[in-house]
Amino acid sequence: MKNTSFLLLFTLSTIRVFSQNQPIKDTTTVEKLNEVVVTGQLNPQAVSKSVVEVKVISRSDIERQGGNNLADVLNSTLNINITPNTATGKSGVSLFGLDGQYFKVLMDNIPIINEEGVGNNTDLTLINIEDIERIEIVEGAMGVQYGANAVSGIINIITKKGSKNDWDITASVQEETIGSEYEWFDKGRHIQTLKIGHNFSENFYANASFTRNDFGGFWNDKQGENYDANDGLRGHEWLPKLQHNAKAVLSYEKENIKLFYRFDYLTETIDNFSENVDLNENPATATTNPTAQDEIYTNNRFYHHLNASGSLFSKIPYNISVSYQEQTKDLERYTYYIRRQQRENVEEGEYQSRSAFFSRGTFSNIIQTETANLQLGYELTNEKGTGSSVAIVIAPGEEEITQKLDNYDFFAASEWQLTQRLSLRPGARVSFSNLFDTQYIGSLSAKQTLGDDWEVRGIIGSANRTPSYDELYTYFVDVNHNVQGNPELNPEKGISTFLHIKKNSTLSEGKIRLKNKLSFNYLGLQDRIELIVVQQNPLAYQYSNIDNYKAIGAFSENEIYFGNFKGQLGASVQGISKVLDSRTDSNDDFLFNLQLNANVSYSLPKYRTTFSLFFKHIGEQQQFVEKTNDEGNQEFVAGTTEAYSWLDATINKSFFSKKLTTTLGARNIFDITAVNTTAFEGGAHNSPATQIPLGYGRSFFLKLTYNISL
Amino acid sequence: MKPFSLKLKPAFLCLLAAALFISCSEDDSVTTATPFVVAFENLSANISDIETSKTLSLVYSETATVQGSFEVSIVSTNAIYGVDFTTEPAAEGSTITLPIEASENGKSIVFNKLNPTLDETVTIELNISAIHYPSSVIQGNTRFLFGNTPALGTGYSPNVGGPNQQNQVYIDLSSEAETVVQRDTWDLGFYAGDEFRVGINGAIYMATAQLESTDIDAISEADVTDLQPQVAVGTFDPDNVAYIDHPDGAITKTAIASISATEAENKVYLVNLGYTVGTDAPEPGSVAVAGSARGWKKIRVLRQGDDYLLQYANLNDTTHEEVVISKNEGYNFTFFSFDTENVVTAEPRADQWDLNFTVFTNIIDGAGSYGFSDGVLHNSKGGVTAYSVETTAFDYDTFSASDVVLNNFEQDQRVIGSTWRDVINDDKVLIDTIFYILKDANGNLYKLKFTSLLNENGERGFPEFKYNLLQ
Repeated sequence: MKNTSFLLLFTLSTIRVFSQNQPIKDTTTVEKLNEVVVTGQLNPQAVSKSVVEVKVISRSDIERQGGNNLADVLNSTLNINITPNTATGKSGVSLFGLDGQYFKVLMDNIPIINEEGVGNNTDLTLINIEDIERIEIVEGAMGVQYGANAVSGIINIITKKGSKNDWDITASVQEETIGSEYEWFDKGRHIQTLKIGHNFSENFYANASFTRNDFGGFWNDKQGENYDANDGLRGHEWLPKLQHNAKAVLSYEKENIKLFYRFDYLTETIDNFSENVDLNENPATATTNPTAQDEIYTNNRFYHHLNASGSLFSKIPYNISVSYQEQTKDLERYTYYIRRQQRENVEEGEYQSRSAFFSRGTFSNIIQTETANLQLGYELTNEKGTGSSVAIVIAPGEEEITQKLDNYDFFAASEWQLTQRLSLRPGARVSFSNLFDTQYIGSLSAKQTLGDDWEVRGIIGSANRTPSYDELYTYFVDVNHNVQGNPELNPEKGISTFLHIKKNSTLSEGKIRLKNKLSFNYLGLQDRIELIVVQQNPLAYQYSNIDNYKAIGAFSENEIYFGNFKGQLGASVQGISKVLDSRTDSNDDFLFNLQLNANVSYSLPKYRTTFSLFFKHIGEQQQFVEKTNDEGNQEFVAGTTEAYSWLDATINKSFFSKKLTTTLGARNIFDITAVNTTAFEGGAHNSPATQIPLGYGRSFFLKLTYNISL
Repeated sequence: MKPFSLKLKPAFLCLLAAALFISCSEDDSVTTATPFVVAFENLSANISDIETSKTLSLVYSETATVQGSFEVSIVSTNAIYGVDFTTEPAAEGSTITLPIEASENGKSIVFNKLNPTLDETVTIELNISAIHYPSSVIQGNTRFLFGNTPALGTGYSPNVGGPNQQNQVYIDLSSEAETVVQRDTWDLGFYAGDEFRVGINGAIYMATAQLESTDIDAISEADVTDLQPQVAVGTFDPDNVAYIDHPDGAITKTAIASISATEAENKVYLVNLGYTVGTDAPEPGSVAVAGSARGWKKIRVLRQGDDYLLQYANLNDTTHEEVVISKNEGYNFTFFSFDTENVVTAEPRADQWDLNFTVFTNIIDGAGSYGFSDGVLHNSKGGVTAYSVETTAFDYDTFSASDVVLNNFEQDQRVIGSTWRDVINDDKVLIDTIFYILKDANGNLYKLKFTSLLNENGERGFPEFKYNLLQ
C-alpha cells in the first residue's frame, strides 16, 4: 500500500470528461495515470492513445502549487516562460521565443477573449484557476484544430462540470506576502473564494463560484498614492490590482445528449499612480500643491459558452459550442491633488475592447471503419475590436479604430490505424475571412508504438498569426516621423515539426515506474511582420511581411514514481535564428538557450501531508541587437540576458477527514526581482533597458480550504 | 526555508496574524503639511512707469476656507503717504489691514501716485507684516518695491497657447513685458544689422535650398522634383542641416548665403514653407504643432543700396513679384510674409525682449534637422547671453550674484532650448534639477527656473517659470 497517497492525490483530481468511448472510473489501478485528454482529439481519449502529444497539468498539481492564476501554474512548466509586464500589470507567455501573440489559450476547447485578441495575447493573470479540472498543453502549431494564432502552441483549460457528491461547498482564503510586504489591506495578496456545487437530479448539475483576488502591488521602495515628492518614488513598482470573478456552470446529461452552459464574469481594476509629481509651485507664496496624472484601468470580461455533445443517429459523435464573449478595458484618467486626496478633471472612456461570437462544431466518425475515422468541423468567429487613440497611435483627431474580422473555417481530420502499431492523422483547414486572403492550413501526425513501452510520434502542424491592430493601423506621422501601419498585411505563416519518443518502464518489480520522453522540435515562421524602412529620404517606416524566424531544439521530460515519491525532471535546449531582411548586416546564427525544470513531491499518507518543490532554471539567453560600436558604426552583436532560477516549495496538509486543507508555501525562494540584460536595442531617443523585471522577491503564502461534501 | 525566515519575520507574522484576522495595517499617508500664505504676486514696479495708479495683486497659497485678516506695512523714502501717494484700502498709521474672506483666492491694493514728479531717489516698500489665519506663515514674496530698478522678478505663465503651441511669446524680464505673435505670421526675416542676411522661419519648420540658377523665372517644379523630398525638416538625413538656419542663432549660419552686392552671386532658392499651425487636439501630454504643408516658393534676394530686393514666385510661374525691404533700425529683423505679401510685425525691438518661447527647428547629431516643441530661445542677436546651472551644484533660492561665473555665458540661443523638459517617454516631465542664469543687453543678471510644463489636465504648451534679479 505504498502507493496509497499517490493514488489519493489522483483520486482527488477526479477526471471527469464527457467522453463517448472511454467512460472513466475512479479505479485504483495505475492505469489511472492515463489521463483522458480532449485537445486535438477526434474523440476524447487517453494520453497514451493520442496521436498528438498532449501534456497534462492535473488538478492535484495545481493545488499542490497553490497558484492563484494561470501564470503561477505555468511558471514551472518546461519551455513556457512567463513574462510579467510591470507597467501594464499583465503577464504574457513566451514559447520557443515567440510571445503571446503566437500562443492560444482555450477554455473547454474554445478561445478566451481579451481586449487584444481572441485566444491569443492572453493576460494569464486574468485566468482564474479555481474551477479547473486540468490543463492540457500542446506545443507546436495547431492551426488545423484551433485556427489562427495557434502557432507556438495552445493551452486548453478544462473546467469541472460535474460532481459525484450531492452538495459540494468549498470556502477558501489565501494570504500571500509580496516579497516581504504584507498588510491587512494595502499590501500583500488576499484571496477569498466560495464555491457551491449541487446535483439537482441525476441529470442536472450546477455550480457557482465567486473569487476575490486583491493584489496590493509590489511597493519595493515606492511610496504609493499619497506621496507628494517628485523624486520618482510615488506609486508602485508593480501595479496593484483587484479582481472579482463570478462563474456558474449548468450541466444536463441524458442518454444521448450532454449540455452545459458556462458563464464567467470578471472585473479587474488596475491602479496606475504616476511616479511623476507636478509640484505646481507658486513662486509668489513659495508653496506647492502637488498633483499627478493618474490612471485607473478597468477590465470587464463576459464569457458565455453553450455546449452540446452527443451522437447523431447513435453513430456520429458531435460536439458543438456556441459562445459570445466580450472584454472591454476602460481607462479613467484624472488629476490627483495629492495633499487634498481629491480627483479632478476626471475623464472616462473606453481604452480597448473586443467582442466575439464564436461557434465551433465537430462531427466525428463521419466515416468509420476498423481502421479509419473522419472528423469534420467548422469554426466561425465574428470578432469586433476597438482601440482608442490612447491605446493605439493613430492620427490625432481620430477617436478610435474599429475592426471587424469574420472568419469562416472548415476543417477535416482523420485518423488511420494503418497497422495495430501505426496510426496516421492528416488534417486540413480552410479559412475564409473578410480581411485576408483565404488561408489553407495542413497537418500530419503519425504515431508508432514499439513493444508495449515505446511510443514514437511525429507531428507536422501549421498555423498563421493574424496581424495586430498596431501593425495594421498605427499612424504616427508628423514633421519628424513617418511610421505607418499597413492594412495590406497578410497573416504570418507558421509551421512546426515535432518528434517525440516516449518510453514507459517499471523497475524493481513495479516499485519504480518511469516515463521518459525525448523530443525534437522545429518551428518556422515566414512573412514575419516587422517595421521596416520603406523610404530613406525622408525617412519613413511601415509594417511589412518580410522576416523569417526559426526555432530548433530538443527537450526531454521524465517522470519517476517510487512509493510516496513523485518526481518530474526536464531539460530543454532551444536555438533561435532570426532572418532579418528588414535590416542590413543582420546575423541569423542560431542562439541557444538551456532550460531545466524539476517538480518533486513526497507524501506522508499517515499525516495526510505532501511536500512539493517546483524548480525551473532559465539559462543565459542571447539575442542579436543592433548597436553602435566604438567607431560609431552600427553592428549586430549578441546581447545577453543573465540566467536565473525559480524555486517554489509547498506543504499540503489536510485535517478532519479532508474537510480542511492547508497549503503553506514559499514562492521565488531565490528571491529574484530582475535580471540584467544587454539584449535590448535603444530607440531613436532613448537608451535600452538594462533590466527585465521578473518577480517581486521571496514570498510566502498560506491557503486554508474548507470543504463540505454531502 | 529556515535561513530566510529571520529576514521576513515581520511580514510572515503579519501573514499568520491575517489568517487569524488581526490587522497589521499602518497609515500610508506621506504628504507634508502646507501653511497658509499671503504674498505679493510680483516683486516690484518701476515708479516712473506709473501714470496715476497701479493695482497690486496679493495671492493666497490656497482658497481661504474661513475668515481672517492680514496686515501690510509701508516704509517710504523721499515720499510721504497722503501727499505723494495713497493706497486703497487706506493705511492707518503705516499699516493697511485687509480682511480674508472664505472662498477668496487673493486681494488687491491700489497704489495711487499723487505726485507725478517722484524721481529715482524714491523707494516705497510694502511688507506683509502679519497674517491672522490658522496655520499661516509669512514667506515667499513678502515685500513689494516701488523704485527705479529693473524688475526684481515674478512667476510667469507665457501664453504659448496649449498643445498646438501656436504662439511665439517674447518676454522682457526687466520690464515684465510680453509680446505674443502667432508662429506663422512671418516667413522670412531680413537682418537689420551690418550683414546682409535672410533667415527662414524655423518655428513652422521651413527649409530652403540654393539652386544653381540665377534666373528665377527659368525655374519650374520639374527642376526641383528630385530635391524637394530632401528640403524638409525631420527627414533623418544628416546632410539636411544645409537647408535650415543653424539653430544656435548665429546670423552667419543662415541657410541662405550672405546677400552679395554682386548680383550674379545671388542664386535662386527653393523654399519649403513648412506647416500651418496645427489645430488637432492631441492626447494629453502630446503636441500637435504642425498642420498641413504650406507648399513651396522660389525666391531670389538681391541688394538694393542699403535695402534688400526680394524676388519671389510660385514654382511654375514664369514671372515673379518684387518687393524692396528696408533694414529695420533697432530691430533684429524686418519680417516678410508670403501670405500677406507684405512686411509684417513680429519681434519687439531688439533691446526689448530676452526670451522667445517658440517651437523651433533644432539639429540632432547624426539625424539632421528635427522639429522641437517647448523651445525657449534667448535673444543672442540682441546681446543676451545665458548659461545653465544644475541644482546639484547650487540651490536656486540661495544662488546670488556672487555665484555668477561670467565666463560661462554663452551666445548659443539654445542654452535653455528644450533642456528644461523631457518628452521622450509617455510621461512628459519637467526637469526640475536645472536652472538658468541670464544676462540681458543692459547687463542685468537674472536667475530663472521652470516650474511647470503641463497644465492641471496634463496638457502640453502651458509652461511656467519664475525668475529673480541677481543683485
